[in-house]
Parts: sequence; structure tokens; C-alpha cells
Amino acid sequence: MDRNSNIYTIIYAAILTVVVAVVLAFVHSSLEPKMEANEKLAKQKDILRSVGLVDLPDASAVYEKTISSFVIDASGKVVDGMDGEAVNVAAEFKKPAEDQVHPVFVYTADDGSKRLILPLYGNGLWDKIWGYIALEEDMNTIAGIAMDHKGETPGLGAEIKDNPKQYNDPFIGKTILDEQGNYVSVKMVKGGIKEPEHQIDAISGATITSDGVNEMLYRGLGYYLPYFNAAKSQTSLK
Amino acid sequence: MSETQVAQKSTTLFGKKERRLLTDPFNDNNPITVQVLGICSALAVTVAVKNALVMSVAVILVTGFSNLIISLLRNTIPNRVRMIVQLVVIASLVSIVEMVLHAFQYDVYKQMSVYIGLIITNCILMGRLEAFAMANKPWQSLLDGIGNGVGYGAILIAVAFFRELFGKGSVFGFRVLPDWYVPNGLMLIPAAAIFLIGIIIWIQRSRNTKLVDIS
Amino acid sequence: MEYINIFIKASFVENMVLSFFLGMCSFLAISKKVKTAVGLGAAVVFVLTMTVPINWLISNYLLSENGIFHTDLTFLKLIIYIAVIAAMVQLVEMVVERFSPALYSALGIFLPLITVNCSILGGALFMDSREYELGEAAVFGFGSGFGFFLAIVAIAAIREKLRYSNIPAPLRGLGIAFIITGLMGLAFMSFIGIKL
Repeated sequence: MDRNSNIYTIIYAAILTVVVAVVLAFVHSSLEPKMEANEKLAKQKDILRSVGLVDLPDASAVYEKTISSFVIDASGKVVDGMDGEAVNVAAEFKKPAEDQVHPVFVYTADDGSKRLILPLYGNGLWDKIWGYIALEEDMNTIAGIAMDHKGETPGLGAEIKDNPKQYNDPFIGKTILDEQGNYVSVKMVKGGIKEPEHQIDAISGATITSDGVNEMLYRGLGYYLPYFNAAKSQTSLK
Repeated sequence: MSETQVAQKSTTLFGKKERRLLTDPFNDNNPITVQVLGICSALAVTVAVKNALVMSVAVILVTGFSNLIISLLRNTIPNRVRMIVQLVVIASLVSIVEMVLHAFQYDVYKQMSVYIGLIITNCILMGRLEAFAMANKPWQSLLDGIGNGVGYGAILIAVAFFRELFGKGSVFGFRVLPDWYVPNGLMLIPAAAIFLIGIIIWIQRSRNTKLVDIS
Repeated sequence: MEYINIFIKASFVENMVLSFFLGMCSFLAISKKVKTAVGLGAAVVFVLTMTVPINWLISNYLLSENGIFHTDLTFLKLIIYIAVIAAMVQLVEMVVERFSPALYSALGIFLPLITVNCSILGGALFMDSREYELGEAAVFGFGSGFGFFLAIVAIAAIREKLRYSNIPAPLRGLGIAFIITGLMGLAFMSFIGIKL
């Protein structure tokens, strides 16, 4: 058959399409379990990082042992039957505020004390930033934070992940409510700290990323306020 | 007389010509510094040696295998859809590489996601397919693909080595410079990679004067 | 307002060529004369403005789980994107050949090579990872193309003037072009963080 005739071209294209589609579908379905397992493990490691557990040889086992989760809605009520891991936080933020549901992860330490771990999501300079913040049982004091980013500048915005000693650890011990119980959140500020309980130093040269972190914290923690108020009026943590 | 002529014509597995296919792209015909191909992805992934290494391996595999496949198919491809067929082969190989990385090297995949996909548009692949694989036998095409991939990788790793060393004080993630060295942030921005390649070209053409004014 | 922001970001702050260094191959090869640079730049603007929204439609209505096939077909994304780009470039090639044969022969092999210009596929992949809406995707495509156009015309103008300079032999041509591009990239970093 003539190589350049129309019929040959069409048959050739059709065969090529079928072969390619089959090969790719095959590779995709065989690798899919591993891909999903990797994503799950990465998320678990991030959650554990927020309470200071890093470089664990068996992060998955530690996660299973110490972390439980539930889901709350915008009014602070627990949503039955939903698993915290199943919620796609990024997608939730796109919905109208009343329709959003967010997960709460509870970490139980060896000594029985608990911490609440909440997901955060926001915008840095170039692209998305996100993280997990851990609160003590009083739902006011910060126990730890772990942040990540997609495309911040190394040495500047990327320090929120690369330099935990300088930009994650200072959050520990800060409070999100002031003495009157009003919500003030925690901020990264330039030019010197004026309120030591609610502020840490911003990253110099990364103003926009620092602002992005502040906005992410304010909005992210703010979502959980109805839940905190409802839970504080009860005596125990769910 | 005719016997020796015939003997010379038949291609050997690792004859002189085949060895040159592997070594030429390292220096005389380097894809990046001479052929002006494959520069795009060279810059973003050279922030760390590990990323550069992964990218190099990916490019070597894809260039080698796409050269091989197209060379095997070269007498069957209809002329009108030539470019599309080449692109489809390249795109399929890259999709597979991306899925393999997603499954087996997740943290590298997260750092490099967009740039793995951009291997498809890496001019080296199209360039070698058109310039070599369409007119040469499969084994030679495979060698040519691997050779060009290695030449590309060499430049990538060289640039990444300096960027990571002076930009972070480490090589392959291990801190090698002493603590008093404050990492130089300039090395971590993409423009630094461009300067480094310019300098590499300068050095290469000073030592290899027949490359001056070649492009 | 958001659209203007995206446009300014795509053409200056996140210039495809000078901030992300995508599209370097044709950028360095075609920038020796301003006239051909203008032609290539215009072609890239057209291709990007068309392919980014079309790829958005395909990604959201065909390949995603909410699309008409109701399965997650995103592993076909790369192939389909590049096929759309190839088709669009084929269209541009036919139009240029018909209306400006001089430009067609001046661009030569680099017109079909727009298909593998990293900035075109890069535009589609960035649109993906930033999850734009359709309108935002269209503006992003146009802005990225415009940014490429600005960059390639600028460096062509510089290189035309450089022909009369005394550059050391090993640096002539490609070497100095790299260094200039790096300097332009550094200059464009001054745009970081501009928001309207």
C-alpha cells in the first residue's frame, strides 16, 4: 500500500492511537496504587511534622497509632460519617463559606495529652502555600506548625519549609486569642515584635510570602472558631 | 578487494562510528552548548544535583527510546503526519516516565512536576529524531539518543553542582562547605544557571577553537 | 481587575522567557534580526492565546472526572495538549504561507518548531497547576504570548547592535547571548510582587 495515501495515513493514525492509549492506560492502572499511597504518606508526614515528629522511619505506623480525625461544618458541629482524610481542603475553600466542611486531626501523645491539628491553605508570592498547625488542648496555644509551598523563592519565601528552626519553631507557645478572649491570630511582622504573644519575625526579603502566611493563618484558624467555642462549652475533647 | 569493501560497509556493534555517536555529543556536538537545544528545562532543575540527575536520566531514557522506536518505524510513517507521530511517541514515553516518578520517587516528582512534562518539548528530542533517527538504523539511533542525553546531562550536572554548592553549601543534599559559609542566594535564581552556561560555553570554545562562531 | 492583574503578571512579572526561561531554543536561535523576531513573536502570541483556553476546555470537560467520560483520564493530558498545539501551529503555518511568503521562508524550520516551544506547552501546564477559570486562562495565554513577544524583540534589538562590538572570540554568538539573557532575567526580577 502506498505509504502516503489517505487510507494508509488514517489506518496508521488509528492503530497508533489505540496502541498508545492501551499502553498508557495499562501503566497508569498498574502504578495507581503506588501513586496514591505516596500522596497519602506525604500528607501523613506533614501532619506529624506539625507536632514536631520528623524523620520517622515508619511514619505511617506512627500516624495510625496517634492520629484520629473528624470533620466539622461551618457552624462548628461535627459531621457524622465523614473521615478527615477524605476532605480535599483546597477544594473546600472554593465553596461558599457556609457550605465548607473542614477536617480536624487529633494527635494523642504518649503521655495522653492531645493536640488539635488543623489544615491551612493560602497563597504565597508565586503560587500556593499550605500547612498544618497544631494547637494545645486549650485551643489557644500553638504547639507547632509545618508549612509547605509550591514555588516560593529558595532562600526567601521557601524558608517557611526549609528553615523550620527560624520560621516554624517561634510559633510554639504563641496564642491566637488575646486576654479578653478575642481572636487575633498569629502574625509574622517586620520591623520588630510589639506583641510577643501573637507575633513572630517575618522573613526578611519575603514580605509577600510572610503576608500570605498571615492571611492563611487568620482565615484558616478563623474557620474553626465556631467549633472551638462550642467545644469549650463542653468539658472534654471529642 | 570487494570483500574488504563489503566488510567495511556492514555496521558493527561498537565500531568507531558507533563509539563516536556516544562521545561526540559530550564535547564537539554538545546539545546545549553547540546545537542550542534543550535549554529550557536545563535551568529550572539545576537548583540541586539530585534533581539534575533525575532529569538527565529521564532525558537519556526518553531520547534513547524515542530514537529507537522512530528508527524502527521510519519506513512506515506517512509523510503528512510525521511530526505528529514523533510527538505522540515522545509524549507517551514522557507520560510513562512521569507516572513512574510519581510512584517511585514522590518527593522529586513534587519538585519537578511541570518540568518533567516539558521534556516533551525539549528540542533535543525532536532535533535528534529529525536529524538522525529518521534516516538511520535502530541500534545507531539508540546510541545517538543515549549519547545526546549524556551530553545534555553532563552540562546539567555541572551547572547544578555549582548552583547547589554555592547556593546552599551542599552537594546532593549533603552539606560540604563549612558552617561559616553563608549560602549565596544569587545562585538559586534561574538567571544564575544562564550565566553559568554562558561561562561554560566560553571555556569550551576557548579550549576547542573550531567551535568558535559555530552558533 | 483580576484579569488585568493576570495579564501584567504573565507578561512582566512571570515572563515566560525571562522569569521561567522557557522557550529558550527559538528565543536564542531567531533573535538575530528584529524583523524575524517580530514575526515569530506574533505567531507565538496567536498560538498561546488559542491553545491555553482550548486545552482548559479539554482538561475540564473531557479528561476530568466531572467531564463527559466520567473517568479520570488525566494521564492522557500531555498527549492531548501537544496534539492541540501541533494542530494550531499547522493552522498558523498555512496562514503565514498564504499571506506572507517572505516571513514564511525567513522563519523556515522554526515555524513548525513552535510546536515544541517549551513556553507553549508550559503555558498550558501552568494554567493547569494554577487552576484558572476559563476567562483567566484566556487572558493568561494572551499575556504569556505577549511577554514572549516583548522578550524576543528586545533581545533581537540588542543582538543587532552587538554585531558592532568587540567581543572575545569564544564568547561571540551563543555565549554572549546567554549572558545577556541572564542579565535581562535579573532585570525582570525587579517586577516581583507588583499587584494592581
